[in-house]
Amino acid sequence: MQNIKPNTKLILVLAGVLLIALVGIQSVLAQSKAEPASQVSPIHPTFALLDANGENVLASGNAVSTMKTCGQCHDTDFIASHAFHSDLGLSAYQPVADSMNSSNGLFGQWDPLTYRYLSEKGDSRLDLSTAEWIMLNGSRLVGGGPATTSREGTPLVSIAPNASNPESSILKNGQATPWDWSQSGTMEMDCFICHLTQPNNEARIAAIQRGEFNWASTATLINTGIVERSTLGMNGYYYRPEAFDTDGELKSDFVAIQDPTNSNCAQCHGAVHTDKSPLTLTGCSLDNPQTATTGQVISSQKISDSGMNLANKSTLNRAWDIHAERGLKCTDCHYSINNPAYYQENATNRPSNIVFDPRRLDIGDYLKNPDHNFARGQSAQYNVAPQLKGTMRRCDSCHDAQKAHADWLPYIDTHMKNVACETCHIPQTYAPAIQSYDWTVITTNGEPVKVCKGVNGDSNSINSLVTGFEPAVLDRTNTDGSHLLAPYNLITTYYWVYDDVNGTRPVRLVDLEAAYLQNGKYKADILSAFDSNNNGALEANELKIDSDAKQQVVADQLAALGLKNPRIEGMVQPYSLNHDVADGDHAISNCATCHSNDSRLNQPVKLADYAPNGVMPEFAKDNNVVSSGEIYKGADGALYYKAAPANDKLYVFGNSRVPWIDWFGALFFVAVVLGVGGHGTLRYLSARKQAKARAEQGRSVQKRTERVYMYEAYRRFWHWLQTIAIVILLLTGLIIHRPDMFGIFSFRYMVTIHNVMAALLVLNAALSLFYHLTTGKIREFIPRPYGFFDDAIEQSKYYIQGIFKGEEHPFAKAPNNRMNPLQQMTYFGILNVLLPLQMLTGLLMWGVQKWPQVANALGGLPLLAPFHTLIAWVFAAFIIGHVYLTTTGATPLEAIRGMVTGYEEVEVHDKKEVRKSKK
Amino acid sequence: MNKPKPFWTLGLLGIILVIAAPTAYFWPKITKAVDDPWAHVPDKTVHVDHTDIVKGPFATPQDVTKECITCHPDAANQVMHTTHFTWESKPEIAPGRDQPVTIGKKNQINNFCIGIQGNWVKCTTCHAGYGWSDANYDFNNPLNVDCLVCHANTASYSKGANGLPADGVDLVAAAKSVGAPTRQNCGRCHFDGGGGNGVKHGDLDESLYFPSEDIDIHMGKLNFQCTDCHQTKDHQILGKMVADNYQIDPAEQVQCTNCHSQTPHTDDRLNFHTKSVACQTCHIPAMALQDPTKVVWDWSTAGQPGRTDDHFTYLKIKGSFIYEKNYIPTYMWSNGNLSYRYLLGDKIDPSKPVVIDQPAGDINDPTAKIMPFKLHMAKQPYDTVNNILLQPRTAGKGGFWTTFDWASALQLGAQDAGLNYSGQYGFTETWMYWPTTHMVQPSANALQCNDCHSESGRLDWKALGYPGDPMIWGGRFQQK
Repeated sequence: MQNIKPNTKLILVLAGVLLIALVGIQSVLAQSKAEPASQVSPIHPTFALLDANGENVLASGNAVSTMKTCGQCHDTDFIASHAFHSDLGLSAYQPVADSMNSSNGLFGQWDPLTYRYLSEKGDSRLDLSTAEWIMLNGSRLVGGGPATTSREGTPLVSIAPNASNPESSILKNGQATPWDWSQSGTMEMDCFICHLTQPNNEARIAAIQRGEFNWASTATLINTGIVERSTLGMNGYYYRPEAFDTDGELKSDFVAIQDPTNSNCAQCHGAVHTDKSPLTLTGCSLDNPQTATTGQVISSQKISDSGMNLANKSTLNRAWDIHAERGLKCTDCHYSINNPAYYQENATNRPSNIVFDPRRLDIGDYLKNPDHNFARGQSAQYNVAPQLKGTMRRCDSCHDAQKAHADWLPYIDTHMKNVACETCHIPQTYAPAIQSYDWTVITTNGEPVKVCKGVNGDSNSINSLVTGFEPAVLDRTNTDGSHLLAPYNLITTYYWVYDDVNGTRPVRLVDLEAAYLQNGKYKADILSAFDSNNNGALEANELKIDSDAKQQVVADQLAALGLKNPRIEGMVQPYSLNHDVADGDHAISNCATCHSNDSRLNQPVKLADYAPNGVMPEFAKDNNVVSSGEIYKGADGALYYKAAPANDKLYVFGNSRVPWIDWFGALFFVAVVLGVGGHGTLRYLSARKQAKARAEQGRSVQKRTERVYMYEAYRRFWHWLQTIAIVILLLTGLIIHRPDMFGIFSFRYMVTIHNVMAALLVLNAALSLFYHLTTGKIREFIPRPYGFFDDAIEQSKYYIQGIFKGEEHPFAKAPNNRMNPLQQMTYFGILNVLLPLQMLTGLLMWGVQKWPQVANALGGLPLLAPFHTLIAWVFAAFIIGHVYLTTTGATPLEAIRGMVTGYEEVEVHDKKEVRKSKK
Repeated sequence: MNKPKPFWTLGLLGIILVIAAPTAYFWPKITKAVDDPWAHVPDKTVHVDHTDIVKGPFATPQDVTKECITCHPDAANQVMHTTHFTWESKPEIAPGRDQPVTIGKKNQINNFCIGIQGNWVKCTTCHAGYGWSDANYDFNNPLNVDCLVCHANTASYSKGANGLPADGVDLVAAAKSVGAPTRQNCGRCHFDGGGGNGVKHGDLDESLYFPSEDIDIHMGKLNFQCTDCHQTKDHQILGKMVADNYQIDPAEQVQCTNCHSQTPHTDDRLNFHTKSVACQTCHIPAMALQDPTKVVWDWSTAGQPGRTDDHFTYLKIKGSFIYEKNYIPTYMWSNGNLSYRYLLGDKIDPSKPVVIDQPAGDINDPTAKIMPFKLHMAKQPYDTVNNILLQPRTAGKGGFWTTFDWASALQLGAQDAGLNYSGQYGFTETWMYWPTTHMVQPSANALQCNDCHSESGRLDWKALGYPGDPMIWGGRFQQK
């Protein structure tokens, strides 16, 4: 012990000395590092904080009024009335008898995820009153709109407390009780939450949830040095005199006003990560609504540098969001629509000869009256301010897809016209998202059964392996009426509804709890129906309605509460993915992702692990997604959605097929193969027999033949060129048609070869036609009407009978007359019908990228492509027959030899004269 | 009957040509033309095994050199004209000075071990010669050239006091092992510069003996030797240390562009950067990736009795240090030269840090680029009356490392270096900038936009002379 003590002292002294030295040296270090540039707006003047009466809060002690305070310079009335973030559907509020939605926004739109229903006037049961709606959604409200104004447009404070008015009451212990607006005040639009560098959102939300609506803006200032929680001040809010100068204005150090940053937006919208610490994210909490519903995370951090337990993480050497990595902010795309720095008049409102209109809002006017309606895209999930849909700059406003894809993507126009940029550039999410909420049952905590997708195991554990998910690709209708395939997450919800006096209503959470629970535990009736292992608790596999009996028990409980006709409904909602964009290196560039049998375009997307008692959900209608696919129950009992591109008039090469055409074509092909096979076998057998007979009779086996120059050089050249082109076309066409059967070949290269060969074939055919026309040899191909049928029958007879008897060909083959009548007929059909049709359909299919209207006028790809396939089958069959018939010459290979060398041994014919005499 | 001529084979060839030509023409082109860095990397020839050539025995190390030059007659003479032997630059005209000056370990100081004069016994351990023990060393004797330090297998050879072979070295075995210099040969001195692993350079340390590809793409993934880039002709090794030279002819410097294109990126925007940003800035996001490097050295605390020595924080003979790992460089404009180099006798202003080597270039210098540097900060002795930096005798006889007495060590050191010393000393802060050019990372690990172009970006735009982030304010070559 005695040895240790001095040592400890020494160590302490040394450590102290070292610490001092280190601090000294660190300060040297610190000097060399520059402070990061200030992000605070450098020219924002100081100002006084005013209350609702326009008095300085330092004197009155009242809550800060943003409308009055910021209204000293900015036109706050204009701002509040030009802001869908504030309005949230209030201006469109209009109850409709047959819909649970009474507006297009958070205020009035039924959202089965947050579940609570904003009660309409006259509803027999009060669920969410306006006051409780503000409390419940506090974390997503900026104030103003429905937080200050009634549905009729009057100030909320003018409404007298009344338990039967959903605008001036609140649900307390299951009972509607009056709500006094004059006491709570209302919630003005909170400028601070978006424009302060360090707003205190937690304090703000807490104030809202306490019902101190008029203090919410003031609470946002807590810990900025301006306001403290202290008993010194009114209502517990104390303005620190140190923050104000002698005139009662804020000292400039406390004016931390800025343009909204990603962090400001993140407070309400979703996971945004800006610092260098490893990003972590668990669960699918609706506190980050955008991330919870879509898996989108806005961060410049590389995914591999994050703290997430991600599958294949080390290979994910890309940023979560390329735009965040490249320094873009939310407001760069979602800008104020009268911001002169961003404003660009819509091209449709501009004379076509004007490229840029320099006449724009003066910066001073903009700062006074900045429109707080922000440019927005065409997402499915946010429906407020539909007039602003598509105002945002889209990908193609900044990017030139033609140039960016020029060096590799075939059919750029076709792809861009049918596929949203996001489909390839958001190939996958790397965060989990909600898959389903089942509100038909309830946990003892009053929660639904939630299922998160993109994570293995407990989604709330940081240790669970996050896999992310591939979005569903669905047909989106743009505001201009065009259609694009775009990525979505599909969220399925189940819930009980009943008939209220005003129409269908979701069963209130209090009623649901009353139906299932008593004193925080499941009721005996519920347990006896659900608790299959009789252990007194409901495990995850028990807490679901999977039988009529269970459904009936719950329905009876609900009916006992006075709910009419309680029943289960389900809904599938699409949530669009537009962020988390990957750059070209990490986007989908493999054609087979879509152009294959297991194409992403019609892969089944899991909706839910089960359908409560088999009730099928409906695809939500109030959005821009075309739900032409099918919702079905898989063999595993789970629910799936399978998109059907064919229903959206899409034909995707390698994926789309018309089964009967393939069956018909294949059968025809096989029939021809079998036919020539049989014919050949018979010929072989009969030839042997005859040879034997001849040998017995001592006759010469050889037919008399002579060598004739049958095919001139050009004829041979075009024939073999066409042969190779057609064979390659058939093969590559087959591969493009069924890439799943020929995985070894690259889809892209096959398309290229197919197109080049097709061009070659057309060119070759045209030149050959020219040759035949100018030399007059075209006549060989034209059947002569006179005696044609007799000749044809004679030739047919030969193939059916004569050929087996070793008879001579009925018609002589001569350089100027090489075709027998059957050949003429066949070629006449092929060259005049099949080949032109195949060329035309092929050309139109290729031309879809250049002149889609032409192809569309003729039925578009869904018609052209299967037709092309059908003719291809016929061509394949023709080749078999054609090659077989070449073997019917003097010797089996003589005709082919002739086509190679030009010289053919042909039978010396007696009937030649006969035929000639006929003519 | 005539035999048919094989005329048809010509036709077949024609058909194949007609099919192949357009197919090849329309074949999807995915790979852009890229430069071929390998074309610039020398082929590695197998070195002649000298086991049976070298006979020995060798009484002295000079005897080894004598045997080397029997077959390589010019070698020693060539080495004698390199800075590896002279430790001194050629005389050069420096801005603001009347006379041509030379800079090198031989005659100038840094802010690590400060200076070699009087301390040869230790410092010349890394000299490519034998027996440099005092100011009268014979630089003209070819036999003093140490061939083995660069060419012998490091397992069989090492150097000790005054640059002589360490005790116990078998000169015959060492001489038989000679070959082309490896990372081991160069690393012995360059990885341990400043007195230990990673002391002087943040981008050169012992982690590069067997680096993973995450440490250095060239040495790790591609197994480069130093000489693959520092190509050598007549023993003149390409590449010069800016800290010891006022001007460096670009032809004498190793540049990324010796092998790589000036615009190697597929993204044009990145290629625009290369006019103003050195390759190293993005491709070396941090130095000292595995072994820490010394960033602060405080001589003023040296010699304190009773303190426990710890390699990374305090040594009685050297004072206290700070080491940093995964260390983010300091970024400055650099055109490859120095605008100032402290020379012995230069007056200093002790009220502010003395910059010993100031990289030349600023935003207005079109040849300058933003370049990463390791900033090494020190506190080192100076003459409080004459306001000049002092050079102590440390390792030399009666030096600080034996006496721990600054007064005498500085007095002796002033004699060694020929300084006019008042006898009054203090400690002042000095800065040295060391370019960071090794530990190059592949593109996947390179800096991304927001590493610089963001509110928390690592570049101080105003300090670099920009009005603000050039992404927003425009770059210096941007068309207005």
